[in-house]
Amino acid sequence: MKQRPMLTLEDCKKIAAAAEAEAKRNNWNVCIAILDDGGHLLHLARMDGATPANARIAVAKGRTAAETRRSTANWQERVAKRIELLRMPEVTPVQGGVPIVFDGTCVGAVGVSGVQSHEDEQIAAAGIKALG
Amino acid sequence: MKRLLFAAIAATLTASVSAQQPAQPNPRDAVPDKMPNDIPYGAPISLDRAQAAINAAVAESKKRGWKLNIAVMDSGANLVAFARMDGAQIGSVAIAEHKARAAVKFRRETKAFESGVQEGNLHYLLTLDDIIASRGGIPIIDNGQMIGAVGCSGGTGSQDEVVCKAGVDALAKR
Repeated sequence: MKQRPMLTLEDCKKIAAAAEAEAKRNNWNVCIAILDDGGHLLHLARMDGATPANARIAVAKGRTAAETRRSTANWQERVAKRIELLRMPEVTPVQGGVPIVFDGTCVGAVGVSGVQSHEDEQIAAAGIKALG
Repeated sequence: MKRLLFAAIAATLTASVSAQQPAQPNPRDAVPDKMPNDIPYGAPISLDRAQAAINAAVAESKKRGWKLNIAVMDSGANLVAFARMDGAQIGSVAIAEHKARAAVKFRRETKAFESGVQEGNLHYLLTLDDIIASRGGIPIIDNGQMIGAVGCSGGTGSQDEVVCKAGVDALAKR
């Protein structure tokens, strides 16, 4: 039987704290969602001032990255070249969702929403970096 | 033929009416003077306090060796914070959110719906929008106003409720 690594709640707290610190440093109010490799929610923090929609969109971006094992920035690029990809079910092709890869395995993803898409991704990346 | 059939139906109706018991007063016909659950919606809970509630709930759950999902909604029924403990069942992610959302939307513990359906025989509750008739969703009241709610799911309803309460009580102490 194959074994695979798995995110713990402690890992999630580490990721969320680093991502939130990155957002705070820039005075950004965002929502940060962390999902497992099945696209199920593990941890969510909506910073004061972030909108209800940010909570929904952060989860949608994270789920896309987790389930497809690729960043939503990659989806955005591919959609720009191939508009028909917009018909892919349950995909949110907007930058800000980043898969978490550990030992070559996707263990989940971080989705961020609240500022410009490339800034959302910057926050997600900062969170994942904290995992080491 | 048609007339005969009609006569038969009429006879049946008359029989069933006369067989009825004298009408019982329906308690739901009573019209109270005051509004029930008239708790004002307050400002949305801050992330700091939402996370404090989750931390307290996780600590209580850990102490008992349980694995639950915990969600906090603000006073507009929007998700503010969420945590799934290691090994908690994923079907309960949505249920934890649902319980917290229902507690905010109806300004009462979701246990009220469970009791209503189970003990009160108020089956109509299940036809209302966005209801969940299961305990484990509790509003957070601050200075007489509701600022949000905590919802827990993953164990039995009673386990969910214990952990949920630990989260809400932690805020009251602060």
